[in-house]
Amino acid sequence: MRRRPVAAFLVAGALVASCGSADARVVVSDARIGQPTGPNAAMYFTAKGGSEPDRLVGAFSDAAASMELHETTTGEGGVMGMRAVEGLDLPGDGVLVLEPAGVHLMLVDARRMEVGETVDVTLVWERAGEMIVTAQVVEPGNTMGHGS
Amino acid sequence: MMNVHRIPRIITGLGIILVAVAAIAGCGGDVASGELQGVLVDPPGEKPSFTLTDTSGDSYDFAVETEGKLALLYFGYLNCPDICPVHLAQIAEVFDRIPDVARDAEVVFVSVDPGRDTPEEIRRFLDRFDSRFVGLTGTETELTTAQTAAGVPPAVISGNGDEYTVDHAGWVIAYSPDGRNHAIYPFGTRQSQWDNDLQILAVRDGSR
Repeated sequence: MRRRPVAAFLVAGALVASCGSADARVVVSDARIGQPTGPNAAMYFTAKGGSEPDRLVGAFSDAAASMELHETTTGEGGVMGMRAVEGLDLPGDGVLVLEPAGVHLMLVDARRMEVGETVDVTLVWERAGEMIVTAQVVEPGNTMGHGS
Repeated sequence: MMNVHRIPRIITGLGIILVAVAAIAGCGGDVASGELQGVLVDPPGEKPSFTLTDTSGDSYDFAVETEGKLALLYFGYLNCPDICPVHLAQIAEVFDRIPDVARDAEVVFVSVDPGRDTPEEIRRFLDRFDSRFVGLTGTETELTTAQTAAGVPPAVISGNGDEYTVDHAGWVIAYSPDGRNHAIYPFGTRQSQWDNDLQILAVRDGSR
């Protein structure tokens, strides 16, 4: 699990170095799901794009009835809310970070999950297509990722 | 007549009290001499008075139950997988590090989603973090009254069916034992800030 992103970066790096045409590769790291405390759960990760921009347009998993792309908004006076969004942009040679209070994937009607188990989720990218990522189930409050 | 003569004595008396308070505060050591790192409320707010129902079905008078204690008040809901658990987990983690502060503190989570959150579910949710955390619920009217009293905009429920969303105040309100709200803690507050501030707030009662 830990080694995979490194390997993927090397592959991505090799592709960039070879000046390949339309590089639609996306590398996902730090995929995690906060153990559900209610009917729904939130998933986070960091995606690193290829040279071309891409867009996350959907996701699905056996672990949830459906999955939605959500944005947490902080409105006037600090009021926080959640909104479904159509897609999440991954800029060319950039990153898309899903994190608490930012954007997340909502697992609607998530099944029971134990901390430490892994859950496969298929991400649907506009250009890169479908990719399966393996998310680690973490304590519900421990979703901040490596940056915290 | 009498009042006129008493005024100077009252002022002198106040002066002595202030000096005494300052002296006591000066004895507080490193902890009490630090500065709050949360979002300061200036002038400090007063503790609200409201009554809701706890997860055992008993009436819970916030002002009475938290009197003389460090109290943290948060309005949230269970179907909030993004930010609510992070707030509670942060507080639980800091409490583990400062048990002396945690022992006398009261953490109060008010569910603003009475349509979905049952007392049993609220209890189960809070037990994930710390079984001492108090969970409250009430009717929509009671909850609106409580939020207004606490100075937060009442949560707004929008959408229909089971898939509605709840817009709610995203910050934790801290009341020190003196019954005042000196600071609030928005999402993104760091553990070191919680650590620092809870130790300061816990002794803000003018008697230690």
